[in-house]
Amino acid sequence: MAPLVPSQEELQRRRIIGINAETVTNIPSTDFPGHWPGESHAWALDQFKDNFKVEYHRNDPYEASFSLIGLDAAVANAFRRILMAEIPTLAIEYVFIQNNTSVIQDEVLASRLGLIPLKGSVEGINWMHWFRKPSEDDDGPAPPGPSDFNTVVMHLVAECTKNPAAAADETDPRKLYHNAHVYAKDITFSPVGRQEQYFSGEGTIQPVNPDILIAKMRPGQKIDLEMHCIKGIGADHAKFSPVATASYRLMPDIKIERPIIGNDAKKFAKCFPKGVIALEPVTAEEAGRKGSGYEGHAGEQKAVVRDAFNDTVSRECLRHEEFQGKVKLGRIRDHFIFNVESTGQFESDVLFLEAVKVLKLKCARWKRGLTDLMA
Amino acid sequence: MSREAYQVPSMGGQSGFGNEGGFSSMAVDSPSVVYLCGECSARVPLKRGDQIRCKDCGHRVLYKERTKRMVQFEAR
Amino acid sequence: MPASVHSQDAQEQEHDQSMMDVEPENEPVNPILLDEKRIVVLPGSSDTAASFQFEGEGHTMGNALRYAIMKNPAVEFCGYTIPHPSDPKMHVRIQTNDSTTALEALEKGFNDLMDLCDVVTEKFTAARDQFNEENANKMEA
Repeated sequence: MAPLVPSQEELQRRRIIGINAETVTNIPSTDFPGHWPGESHAWALDQFKDNFKVEYHRNDPYEASFSLIGLDAAVANAFRRILMAEIPTLAIEYVFIQNNTSVIQDEVLASRLGLIPLKGSVEGINWMHWFRKPSEDDDGPAPPGPSDFNTVVMHLVAECTKNPAAAADETDPRKLYHNAHVYAKDITFSPVGRQEQYFSGEGTIQPVNPDILIAKMRPGQKIDLEMHCIKGIGADHAKFSPVATASYRLMPDIKIERPIIGNDAKKFAKCFPKGVIALEPVTAEEAGRKGSGYEGHAGEQKAVVRDAFNDTVSRECLRHEEFQGKVKLGRIRDHFIFNVESTGQFESDVLFLEAVKVLKLKCARWKRGLTDLMA
Repeated sequence: MSREAYQVPSMGGQSGFGNEGGFSSMAVDSPSVVYLCGECSARVPLKRGDQIRCKDCGHRVLYKERTKRMVQFEAR
Repeated sequence: MPASVHSQDAQEQEHDQSMMDVEPENEPVNPILLDEKRIVVLPGSSDTAASFQFEGEGHTMGNALRYAIMKNPAVEFCGYTIPHPSDPKMHVRIQTNDSTTALEALEKGFNDLMDLCDVVTEKFTAARDQFNEENANKMEA
Protein backbone atom coordinates (compact mmCIF):
# COMPACT_ATOMS: atom_id res chain seq x y z
CA MET A 1 0.00 0.00 0.00
CA ALA A 2 1.46 3.27 -1.04
CA PRO A 3 1.78 5.71 1.82
CA LEU A 4 -0.82 8.44 2.12
CA VAL A 5 0.40 11.85 1.04
CA PRO A 6 -1.16 14.68 3.05
CA SER A 7 -2.54 17.63 1.14
CA GLN A 8 -0.43 20.76 0.73
CA GLU A 9 -2.89 22.61 3.00
CA GLU A 10 -2.52 20.04 5.72
CA LEU A 11 1.26 20.18 5.51
CA GLN A 12 1.14 23.97 5.71
CA ARG A 13 -1.10 23.73 8.78
CA ARG A 14 1.38 21.39 10.47
CA ARG A 15 4.22 23.83 9.82
CA ILE A 16 2.70 26.54 11.99
CA ILE A 17 3.25 26.77 15.72
CA GLY A 18 0.28 28.63 17.18
CA ILE A 19 0.87 31.60 19.47
CA ASN A 20 -1.94 32.77 21.74
CA ALA A 21 -1.94 35.56 24.28
CA GLU A 22 -0.61 33.32 27.06
CA THR A 23 -0.03 29.90 25.51
CA VAL A 24 1.55 28.17 22.54
CA THR A 25 0.06 25.26 20.62
CA ASN A 26 1.15 22.57 18.17
CA ILE A 27 4.72 22.59 19.44
CA PRO A 28 6.49 19.25 18.82
CA SER A 29 7.51 18.04 15.37
CA THR A 30 5.27 15.30 14.04
CA ASP A 31 7.12 14.36 10.86
CA PHE A 32 8.14 10.90 12.07
CA PRO A 33 7.15 7.48 10.76
CA GLY A 34 4.21 6.12 12.71
CA HIS A 35 2.89 9.46 13.90
CA TRP A 36 0.27 10.02 11.22
CA PRO A 37 -1.54 6.82 10.25
CA GLY A 38 -0.71 5.75 6.69
CA GLU A 39 1.87 8.46 6.05
CA SER A 40 5.53 7.67 5.57
CA HIS A 41 7.81 10.47 6.88
CA ALA A 42 10.82 8.15 6.62
CA TRP A 43 14.15 9.86 6.02
CA ALA A 44 14.62 10.45 2.29
CA LEU A 45 17.67 12.36 1.17
CA ASP A 46 16.34 13.48 -2.21
CA GLN A 47 13.14 14.70 -0.60
CA PHE A 48 15.18 16.67 1.93
CA LYS A 49 17.27 18.05 -0.91
CA ASP A 50 14.14 19.25 -2.71
CA ASN A 51 12.59 20.85 0.35
CA PHE A 52 15.63 22.38 2.03
CA LYS A 53 16.26 26.01 1.15
CA VAL A 54 18.76 28.65 2.23
CA GLU A 55 18.00 32.36 1.93
CA TYR A 56 20.69 34.89 2.61
CA HIS A 57 19.78 38.22 4.21
CA ARG A 58 23.10 39.73 5.09
CA ASN A 59 26.74 38.75 4.69
CA ASP A 60 29.19 41.10 6.37
CA PRO A 61 32.56 39.70 7.42
CA TYR A 62 31.67 39.81 11.09
CA GLU A 63 27.91 39.46 10.92
CA ALA A 64 25.79 37.22 8.75
CA SER A 65 22.06 36.55 8.68
CA PHE A 66 20.41 33.77 6.73
CA SER A 67 17.38 31.50 6.78
CA LEU A 68 17.50 27.74 6.79
CA ILE A 69 14.13 26.42 5.65
CA GLY A 70 13.04 22.80 5.83
CA LEU A 71 15.17 21.68 8.77
CA ASP A 72 14.21 20.16 12.11
CA ALA A 73 14.90 22.10 15.28
CA ALA A 74 17.16 19.29 16.53
CA VAL A 75 19.57 19.83 13.64
CA ALA A 76 19.35 23.63 13.59
CA ASN A 77 20.07 23.65 17.30
CA ALA A 78 23.05 21.35 16.83
CA PHE A 79 24.53 23.84 14.35
CA ARG A 80 23.95 26.71 16.74
CA ARG A 81 25.49 24.87 19.67
CA ILE A 82 28.53 23.80 17.66
CA LEU A 83 28.96 27.38 16.45
CA MET A 84 29.27 28.57 20.02
CA ALA A 85 31.09 25.74 21.72
CA GLU A 86 33.02 23.50 19.35
CA ILE A 87 34.87 25.55 16.78
CA PRO A 88 38.46 26.18 17.88
CA THR A 89 40.07 29.60 18.14
CA LEU A 90 43.16 31.10 19.70
CA ALA A 91 43.05 32.81 23.10
CA ILE A 92 45.42 33.78 25.87
CA GLU A 93 45.64 30.92 28.37
CA TYR A 94 48.76 31.46 30.49
CA VAL A 95 50.02 34.78 31.82
CA PHE A 96 53.51 35.07 33.29
CA ILE A 97 53.70 38.26 35.28
CA GLN A 98 57.17 39.67 35.89
CA ASN A 99 55.88 42.87 37.36
CA ASN A 100 52.52 44.43 37.91
CA THR A 101 52.36 47.42 40.21
CA SER A 102 49.12 48.74 38.75
CA VAL A 103 46.04 48.77 40.96
CA ILE A 104 44.50 45.87 39.09
CA GLN A 105 45.32 42.56 40.73
CA ASP A 106 47.37 39.93 38.91
CA GLU A 107 44.58 37.35 38.63
CA VAL A 108 42.03 39.93 37.50
CA LEU A 109 44.47 41.26 34.94
CA ALA A 110 45.13 37.73 33.67
CA SER A 111 41.41 37.05 33.40
CA ARG A 112 40.89 40.28 31.46
CA LEU A 113 43.70 39.45 29.07
CA GLY A 114 42.24 36.00 28.42
CA LEU A 115 38.95 37.47 27.22
CA ILE A 116 40.53 39.66 24.52
CA PRO A 117 39.52 38.27 21.10
CA LEU A 118 42.52 37.67 18.85
CA LYS A 119 42.85 37.40 15.10
CA GLY A 120 45.58 36.18 12.79
CA SER A 121 46.10 34.45 9.47
CA VAL A 122 43.50 31.68 9.10
CA GLU A 123 46.08 29.50 7.40
CA GLY A 124 48.35 29.81 10.41
CA ILE A 125 45.56 29.09 12.88
CA ASN A 126 44.68 25.93 10.94
CA TRP A 127 48.31 24.89 10.97
CA MET A 128 48.46 25.14 14.74
CA HIS A 129 47.71 22.16 16.99
CA TRP A 130 46.21 21.71 20.38
CA PHE A 131 48.45 22.41 23.31
CA ARG A 132 48.35 19.41 25.60
CA LYS A 133 48.10 20.46 29.17
CA PRO A 134 50.03 18.49 31.74
CA SER A 135 47.55 16.12 33.35
CA GLU A 136 46.68 16.68 36.98
CA ASP A 137 47.16 13.09 38.08
CA ASP A 138 50.76 12.18 37.40
CA ASP A 139 50.48 9.17 35.13
CA GLY A 140 51.75 8.73 31.59
CA PRO A 141 54.50 10.65 29.88
CA ALA A 142 54.53 14.40 30.31
CA PRO A 143 53.18 16.27 27.25
CA PRO A 144 55.77 17.95 25.03
CA GLY A 145 55.19 21.48 26.34
CA PRO A 146 55.06 24.71 24.37
CA SER A 147 56.35 24.70 20.79
CA ASP A 148 55.91 26.92 17.75
CA PHE A 149 53.00 24.76 16.53
CA ASN A 150 50.94 24.90 19.71
CA THR A 151 51.73 28.17 21.51
CA VAL A 152 51.77 31.80 20.46
CA VAL A 153 53.80 34.12 22.66
CA MET A 154 52.81 37.74 23.24
CA HIS A 155 54.14 40.43 25.51
CA LEU A 156 52.67 43.40 27.28
CA VAL A 157 55.19 45.86 28.68
CA ALA A 158 54.09 49.30 29.79
CA GLU A 159 55.26 51.84 32.31
CA CYS A 160 53.40 54.96 33.24
CA THR A 161 55.48 58.16 33.39
CA LYS A 162 54.79 61.87 33.76
CA ASN A 163 54.47 63.87 30.56
CA PRO A 164 56.67 66.96 30.99
CA ALA A 165 55.13 68.54 27.89
CA ALA A 166 51.63 68.57 29.39
CA ALA A 167 50.01 71.92 30.09
CA ALA A 168 50.10 73.05 33.72
CA ASP A 169 46.32 73.03 34.10
CA GLU A 170 45.82 69.73 32.28
CA THR A 171 43.44 67.34 34.02
CA ASP A 172 43.12 64.52 31.47
CA PRO A 173 45.37 61.72 32.76
CA ARG A 174 45.94 60.46 29.21
CA LYS A 175 47.66 63.77 28.38
CA LEU A 176 49.17 64.36 31.78
CA TYR A 177 50.98 61.01 31.74
CA HIS A 178 52.40 58.58 29.24
CA ASN A 179 50.75 55.15 29.24
CA ALA A 180 48.05 56.13 31.71
CA HIS A 181 45.74 53.76 29.85
CA VAL A 182 46.93 50.37 28.67
CA TYR A 183 45.04 49.17 25.59
CA ALA A 184 44.88 45.91 23.67
CA LYS A 185 47.00 47.55 20.95
CA ASP A 186 49.95 47.64 23.37
CA ILE A 187 50.17 43.84 23.22
CA THR A 188 53.03 42.74 20.99
CA PHE A 189 53.34 39.43 19.18
CA SER A 190 56.67 37.58 19.43
CA PRO A 191 56.82 34.98 16.64
CA VAL A 192 58.75 31.80 17.32
CA GLY A 193 60.07 29.35 14.72
CA ARG A 194 57.74 28.79 11.78
CA GLN A 195 55.26 31.34 13.14
CA GLU A 196 57.39 33.92 11.32
CA GLN A 197 56.12 32.59 7.97
CA TYR A 198 52.51 31.95 8.96
CA PHE A 199 51.79 35.10 10.92
CA SER A 200 53.44 37.96 9.05
CA GLY A 201 52.11 41.26 7.77
CA GLU A 202 48.31 41.26 7.72
CA GLY A 203 48.24 37.83 9.32
CA THR A 204 50.02 38.90 12.50
CA ILE A 205 48.38 37.66 15.69
CA GLN A 206 46.77 40.73 17.22
CA PRO A 207 43.70 41.78 19.16
CA VAL A 208 40.64 42.19 16.92
CA ASN A 209 39.83 45.51 18.54
CA PRO A 210 42.92 47.60 19.39
CA ASP A 211 40.98 49.90 21.75
CA ILE A 212 40.04 47.46 24.49
CA LEU A 213 41.07 49.03 27.80
CA ILE A 214 43.11 46.58 29.85
CA ALA A 215 44.29 48.66 32.82
CA LYS A 216 44.77 52.22 34.03
CA MET A 217 48.01 53.37 35.64
CA ARG A 218 49.62 56.36 37.31
CA PRO A 219 53.28 57.46 37.20
CA GLY A 220 55.61 54.89 38.72
CA GLN A 221 53.37 51.94 38.00
CA LYS A 222 54.45 49.19 35.66
CA ILE A 223 53.10 46.16 33.86
CA ASP A 224 55.54 43.63 32.44
CA LEU A 225 54.17 40.27 31.43
CA GLU A 226 54.33 37.46 28.90
CA MET A 227 51.29 35.64 27.54
CA HIS A 228 50.94 32.20 25.99
CA CYS A 229 48.00 31.72 23.63
CA ILE A 230 46.71 28.27 22.79
CA LYS A 231 43.94 26.81 20.67
CA GLY A 232 40.79 25.79 22.50
CA ILE A 233 37.03 25.42 22.16
CA GLY A 234 34.13 27.36 23.63
CA ALA A 235 32.96 24.32 25.60
CA ASP A 236 36.13 24.64 27.68
CA HIS A 237 35.97 28.41 28.18
CA ALA A 238 33.91 31.16 26.54
CA LYS A 239 37.09 33.04 25.53
CA PHE A 240 37.65 30.36 22.88
CA SER A 241 34.20 30.82 21.33
CA PRO A 242 34.52 32.13 17.75
CA VAL A 243 31.16 33.90 17.88
CA ALA A 244 29.93 36.87 19.85
CA THR A 245 26.37 35.70 19.28
CA ALA A 246 24.98 32.80 17.30
CA SER A 247 21.22 32.57 17.51
CA TYR A 248 18.15 31.67 15.56
CA ARG A 249 14.49 32.61 15.71
CA LEU A 250 11.53 31.10 13.93
CA MET A 251 9.93 33.02 11.10
CA PRO A 252 6.81 34.80 12.41
CA ASP A 253 3.49 34.13 10.75
CA ILE A 254 0.55 36.56 10.89
CA LYS A 255 -2.84 35.67 9.48
CA ILE A 256 -5.61 38.25 9.31
CA GLU A 257 -8.72 36.08 9.33
CA ARG A 258 -11.44 38.73 9.31
CA PRO A 259 -11.25 42.25 7.86
CA ILE A 260 -9.66 45.01 9.90
CA ILE A 261 -10.78 48.31 8.42
CA GLY A 262 -10.45 52.05 8.95
CA ASN A 263 -9.17 53.36 12.26
CA ASP A 264 -8.91 49.80 13.56
CA ALA A 265 -6.48 49.05 10.77
CA LYS A 266 -4.29 51.98 11.80
CA LYS A 267 -4.31 50.83 15.40
CA PHE A 268 -3.59 47.30 14.28
CA ALA A 269 -0.52 48.41 12.33
CA LYS A 270 0.73 50.19 15.43
CA CYS A 271 0.72 46.89 17.33
CA PHE A 272 3.60 45.69 15.12
CA PRO A 273 7.07 46.97 14.24
CA LYS A 274 7.24 49.35 11.26
CA GLY A 275 6.78 47.73 7.87
CA VAL A 276 5.13 44.54 9.09
CA ILE A 277 1.54 45.62 8.51
CA ALA A 278 0.59 47.80 5.54
CA LEU A 279 -2.63 49.68 4.83
CA GLU A 280 -4.33 49.23 1.48
CA PRO A 281 -7.64 50.58 0.15
CA VAL A 282 -10.47 48.06 -0.11
CA THR A 283 -11.09 47.42 -3.79
CA ALA A 284 -14.53 47.66 -5.38
CA GLU A 285 -14.33 44.01 -6.25
CA GLU A 286 -13.78 43.03 -2.61
CA ALA A 287 -16.52 45.34 -1.43
CA GLY A 288 -18.87 43.80 -3.95
CA ARG A 289 -18.22 40.24 -2.82
CA LYS A 290 -20.90 38.95 -0.49
CA GLY A 291 -19.68 37.57 2.84
CA SER A 292 -16.17 38.98 2.45
CA GLY A 293 -16.72 41.35 5.33
CA TYR A 294 -15.75 44.31 3.12
CA GLU A 295 -19.30 45.03 1.86
CA GLY A 296 -19.88 48.74 1.65
CA HIS A 297 -16.34 49.64 2.66
CA ALA A 298 -14.90 50.33 -0.79
CA GLY A 299 -12.06 52.85 -0.65
CA GLU A 300 -11.50 52.50 3.09
CA GLN A 301 -8.12 51.39 4.43
CA LYS A 302 -7.69 47.73 5.35
CA ALA A 303 -4.78 46.07 7.15
CA VAL A 304 -2.67 43.57 5.20
CA VAL A 305 0.46 41.67 6.19
CA ARG A 306 3.35 43.06 4.20
CA ASP A 307 6.45 41.51 5.78
CA ALA A 308 6.20 39.20 8.77
CA PHE A 309 10.01 38.78 8.83
CA ASN A 310 10.56 41.85 10.99
CA ASP A 311 7.83 41.04 13.49
CA THR A 312 8.95 40.48 17.05
CA VAL A 313 5.80 38.48 17.91
CA SER A 314 5.09 40.78 20.84
CA ARG A 315 1.43 39.61 20.91
CA GLU A 316 0.36 43.23 21.47
CA CYS A 317 -2.50 42.84 18.98
CA LEU A 318 -3.98 40.01 21.07
CA ARG A 319 -4.51 42.37 24.02
CA HIS A 320 -7.09 44.53 22.25
CA GLU A 321 -10.80 43.73 22.29
CA GLU A 322 -11.41 44.90 18.71
CA PHE A 323 -8.98 42.37 17.17
CA GLN A 324 -10.35 39.33 19.02
CA GLY A 325 -10.78 36.46 16.58
CA LYS A 326 -9.60 38.56 13.64
CA VAL A 327 -5.93 37.69 13.75
CA LYS A 328 -3.93 34.50 14.27
CA LEU A 329 -0.28 34.68 15.26
CA GLY A 330 2.21 31.87 14.77
CA ARG A 331 5.70 30.89 13.85
CA ILE A 332 6.89 28.61 11.08
CA ARG A 333 8.30 25.47 12.63
CA ASP A 334 11.02 24.77 10.08
CA HIS A 335 12.07 28.29 9.07
CA PHE A 336 15.11 29.26 11.13
CA ILE A 337 16.44 32.78 10.82
CA PHE A 338 20.04 32.53 11.94
CA ASN A 339 22.15 35.44 13.05
CA VAL A 340 25.86 34.78 13.41
CA GLU A 341 28.20 37.44 14.72
CA SER A 342 31.89 36.55 14.58
CA THR A 343 34.39 37.81 17.15
CA GLY A 344 36.78 38.52 14.28
CA GLN A 345 38.98 35.48 13.85
CA PHE A 346 36.84 33.94 11.11
CA GLU A 347 34.23 35.29 8.74
CA SER A 348 30.68 34.53 9.80
CA ASP A 349 29.69 32.51 6.75
CA VAL A 350 32.85 30.39 7.06
CA LEU A 351 31.95 29.76 10.68
CA PHE A 352 28.60 28.25 9.76
CA LEU A 353 30.16 25.98 7.15
CA GLU A 354 32.69 25.02 9.79
CA ALA A 355 29.88 24.10 12.21
CA VAL A 356 28.31 21.82 9.60
CA LYS A 357 31.70 20.26 9.02
CA VAL A 358 32.24 19.67 12.74
CA LEU A 359 28.87 17.91 13.03
CA LYS A 360 29.77 15.68 10.10
CA LEU A 361 33.20 14.93 11.54
CA LYS A 362 31.71 14.02 14.89
CA CYS A 363 29.31 11.62 13.17
CA ALA A 364 32.15 10.08 11.18
CA ARG A 365 34.25 9.58 14.29
CA TRP A 366 31.44 8.01 16.29
CA LYS A 367 30.60 5.79 13.36
CA ARG A 368 34.17 4.59 13.24
CA GLY A 369 33.91 3.79 16.94
CA LEU A 370 30.88 1.63 16.14
CA THR A 371 32.95 -0.89 14.18
CA ASP A 372 34.42 -2.09 17.48
CA LEU A 373 30.94 -2.83 18.77
CA MET A 374 30.00 -4.68 15.60
CA ALA A 375 32.94 -7.05 15.78
CA MET B 1 62.02 33.72 31.60
CA SER B 2 64.52 34.57 34.19
CA ARG B 3 63.37 33.63 37.61
CA GLU B 4 65.10 35.26 40.52
CA ALA B 5 66.30 32.49 42.76
CA TYR B 6 64.63 32.43 46.12
CA GLN B 7 66.93 33.08 49.02
CA VAL B 8 66.05 32.04 52.49
CA PRO B 9 66.39 35.17 54.63
CA SER B 10 69.42 34.51 56.74
CA MET B 11 69.87 35.76 60.24
CA GLY B 12 73.45 36.82 59.54
CA GLY B 13 74.77 33.29 59.93
CA GLN B 14 73.53 33.05 63.50
CA SER B 15 71.20 30.43 64.83
CA GLY B 16 68.51 33.02 65.46
CA PHE B 17 67.03 33.73 68.81
CA GLY B 18 68.60 33.59 72.23
CA ASN B 19 72.31 33.79 71.49
CA GLU B 20 74.85 35.91 73.32
CA GLY B 21 74.97 38.57 70.57
CA GLY B 22 71.74 39.91 71.92
CA PHE B 23 69.37 42.31 70.30
CA SER B 24 71.76 45.08 69.29
CA SER B 25 74.26 42.91 67.46
CA MET B 26 71.47 41.15 65.58
CA ALA B 27 70.11 44.46 64.40
CA VAL B 28 73.50 45.24 62.95
CA ASP B 29 73.85 41.94 61.11
CA SER B 30 70.27 41.37 59.96
CA PRO B 31 69.57 42.16 56.30
CA SER B 32 67.53 45.20 55.49
CA VAL B 33 64.23 44.91 53.69
CA VAL B 34 63.04 47.70 51.46
CA TYR B 35 59.56 49.08 52.05
CA LEU B 36 57.64 51.77 50.25
CA CYS B 37 56.34 54.83 52.05
CA GLY B 38 52.57 55.11 51.96
CA GLU B 39 52.78 58.89 51.75
CA CYS B 40 55.72 59.80 49.51
CA SER B 41 56.50 56.44 47.84
CA ALA B 42 60.16 56.70 48.92
CA ARG B 43 62.11 53.47 49.27
CA VAL B 44 62.72 52.87 52.98
CA PRO B 45 65.23 50.15 53.91
CA LEU B 46 64.43 48.78 57.35
CA LYS B 47 66.32 46.39 59.57
CA ARG B 48 65.08 44.35 62.42
CA GLY B 49 64.25 46.61 65.33
CA ASP B 50 64.21 49.81 63.28
CA GLN B 51 61.50 52.27 63.92
CA ILE B 52 58.69 51.87 61.38
CA ARG B 53 58.89 55.31 59.92
CA CYS B 54 59.70 56.86 56.55
CA LYS B 55 63.11 58.48 56.61
CA ASP B 56 62.02 61.30 54.30
CA CYS B 57 58.61 62.34 55.48
CA GLY B 58 58.15 60.56 58.77
CA HIS B 59 54.99 58.80 57.65
CA ARG B 60 54.28 55.68 59.65
CA VAL B 61 52.51 53.57 57.03
CA LEU B 62 54.93 51.46 54.97
CA TYR B 63 54.10 48.90 52.33
CA LYS B 64 55.94 45.78 51.27
CA GLU B 65 57.43 45.81 47.81
CA ARG B 66 55.99 43.52 45.18
CA THR B 67 57.86 40.27 44.68
CA LYS B 68 60.53 40.36 41.98
CA ARG B 69 59.75 36.76 41.10
CA MET B 70 57.68 35.80 38.10
CA VAL B 71 54.14 34.76 38.96
CA GLN B 72 52.11 32.53 36.66
CA PHE B 73 48.35 32.73 36.22
CA GLU B 74 45.75 30.96 34.13
CA ALA B 75 43.67 33.44 32.18
CA ARG B 76 40.33 31.99 33.30
CA MET C 1 36.12 30.44 -0.30
CA PRO C 2 38.43 31.09 2.60
CA ALA C 3 40.40 28.23 4.01
CA SER C 4 38.69 26.10 6.59
CA VAL C 5 39.41 25.68 10.24
CA HIS C 6 39.42 21.92 10.01
CA SER C 7 41.23 21.16 6.77
CA GLN C 8 41.98 17.71 8.04
CA ASP C 9 44.32 16.55 5.28
CA ALA C 10 46.46 19.64 5.37
CA GLN C 11 46.55 19.49 9.12
CA GLU C 12 47.64 15.87 9.20
CA GLN C 13 50.38 16.58 6.69
CA GLU C 14 51.70 19.58 8.52
CA HIS C 15 51.39 17.69 11.68
CA ASP C 16 53.82 15.03 10.52
CA GLN C 17 56.32 17.68 9.54
CA SER C 18 56.13 19.44 12.84
CA MET C 19 56.44 16.19 14.70
CA MET C 20 59.89 15.41 13.40
CA ASP C 21 61.62 16.44 16.56
CA VAL C 22 58.98 15.14 18.94
CA GLU C 23 58.20 11.65 20.18
CA PRO C 24 55.45 9.99 18.11
CA GLU C 25 53.32 9.19 21.15
CA ASN C 26 53.11 12.87 21.99
CA GLU C 27 50.67 13.65 19.21
CA PRO C 28 48.45 16.64 19.84
CA VAL C 29 44.90 15.60 20.60
CA ASN C 30 41.72 17.49 19.82
CA PRO C 31 39.74 17.21 23.04
CA ILE C 32 36.39 16.98 21.27
CA LEU C 33 37.05 15.39 17.91
CA LEU C 34 39.58 12.71 18.76
CA ASP C 35 39.59 10.06 21.47
CA GLU C 36 37.69 7.21 19.92
CA LYS C 37 36.15 4.06 21.39
CA ARG C 38 33.95 5.92 23.77
CA ILE C 39 30.71 4.10 22.90
CA VAL C 40 29.57 1.56 25.46
CA VAL C 41 26.53 -0.71 25.16
CA LEU C 42 24.79 -0.57 28.50
CA PRO C 43 23.91 -3.86 30.21
CA GLY C 44 20.53 -5.45 29.52
CA SER C 45 20.59 -4.96 25.76
CA SER C 46 19.26 -7.27 23.08
CA ASP C 47 19.70 -7.08 19.31
CA THR C 48 16.64 -4.95 18.76
CA ALA C 49 16.68 -2.93 21.97
CA ALA C 50 19.83 -1.34 23.31
CA SER C 51 21.10 1.70 25.15
CA PHE C 52 24.38 3.22 24.05
CA GLN C 53 26.55 5.43 26.19
CA PHE C 54 28.47 8.21 24.47
CA GLU C 55 31.24 9.76 26.51
CA GLY C 56 31.90 13.47 26.19
CA GLU C 57 28.78 14.08 24.15
CA GLY C 58 25.83 16.32 24.98
CA HIS C 59 22.58 17.70 23.62
CA THR C 60 24.30 18.86 20.42
CA MET C 61 24.82 15.36 19.10
CA GLY C 62 22.15 13.71 21.25
CA ASN C 63 19.13 15.53 19.94
CA ALA C 64 20.29 15.63 16.32
CA LEU C 65 21.02 11.91 16.41
CA ARG C 66 17.70 11.16 18.06
CA TYR C 67 15.96 13.03 15.24
CA ALA C 68 17.87 11.13 12.54
CA ILE C 69 17.18 7.75 14.15
CA MET C 70 13.50 8.50 14.70
CA LYS C 71 13.20 9.16 10.97
CA ASN C 72 13.90 5.45 10.41
CA PRO C 73 10.60 3.54 9.97
CA ALA C 74 12.14 0.37 11.46
CA VAL C 75 12.74 2.19 14.75
CA GLU C 76 9.94 1.83 17.26
CA PHE C 77 11.46 4.02 19.92
CA CYS C 78 14.42 6.34 20.18
CA GLY C 79 15.28 8.75 22.94
CA TYR C 80 18.33 10.35 24.47
CA THR C 81 19.18 11.50 27.95
CA ILE C 82 22.00 13.01 29.90
CA PRO C 83 21.63 11.10 33.19
CA HIS C 84 23.58 13.59 35.24
CA PRO C 85 24.55 17.12 34.22
CA SER C 86 27.98 16.97 35.79
CA ASP C 87 28.83 13.64 34.19
CA PRO C 88 29.86 14.17 30.54
CA LYS C 89 27.91 11.18 29.28
CA MET C 90 24.95 10.89 26.95
CA HIS C 91 22.70 7.82 26.60
CA VAL C 92 20.76 6.90 23.48
CA ARG C 93 18.04 4.26 23.71
CA ILE C 94 17.00 2.55 20.50
CA GLN C 95 14.30 -0.08 20.06
CA THR C 96 13.62 -1.46 16.60
CA ASN C 97 11.36 -4.01 14.98
CA ASP C 98 12.71 -7.36 13.78
CA SER C 99 13.78 -6.10 10.34
CA THR C 100 16.92 -4.48 11.73
CA THR C 101 19.04 -4.15 14.88
CA ALA C 102 19.58 -1.25 17.24
CA LEU C 103 23.21 -1.04 16.15
CA GLU C 104 22.27 -0.83 12.48
CA ALA C 105 19.71 1.84 13.27
CA LEU C 106 22.39 3.81 15.08
CA GLU C 107 24.75 3.53 12.13
CA LYS C 108 22.01 4.57 9.72
CA GLY C 109 21.36 7.56 11.96
CA PHE C 110 24.98 8.66 11.59
CA ASN C 111 24.87 8.12 7.83
CA ASP C 112 21.66 10.11 7.40
CA LEU C 113 23.01 12.93 9.54
CA MET C 114 26.19 13.08 7.46
CA ASP C 115 24.16 13.13 4.23
CA LEU C 116 22.11 15.96 5.69
CA CYS C 117 25.28 17.90 6.49
CA ASP C 118 26.45 17.56 2.88
CA VAL C 119 23.17 18.91 1.55
CA VAL C 120 23.25 21.83 3.99
CA THR C 121 26.83 22.72 3.03
CA GLU C 122 26.07 22.53 -0.66
CA LYS C 123 22.90 24.62 -0.52
CA PHE C 124 24.39 27.12 1.94
CA THR C 125 27.45 27.71 -0.24
CA ALA C 126 25.29 28.15 -3.33
CA ALA C 127 22.95 30.61 -1.61
CA ARG C 128 25.87 32.60 -0.18
CA ASP C 129 27.72 32.81 -3.47
CA GLN C 130 24.58 33.90 -5.25
CA PHE C 131 23.91 36.52 -2.59
CA ASN C 132 27.47 37.84 -2.81
CA GLU C 133 27.24 38.03 -6.57
CA GLU C 134 23.95 39.90 -6.51
CA ASN C 135 25.35 42.32 -3.96
CA ALA C 136 28.46 42.94 -6.04
CA ASN C 137 26.24 43.70 -9.03
CA LYS C 138 24.18 46.10 -6.97
CA MET C 139 27.32 47.92 -5.87
CA GLU C 140 28.45 48.34 -9.46
CA ALA C 141 25.08 49.54 -10.70
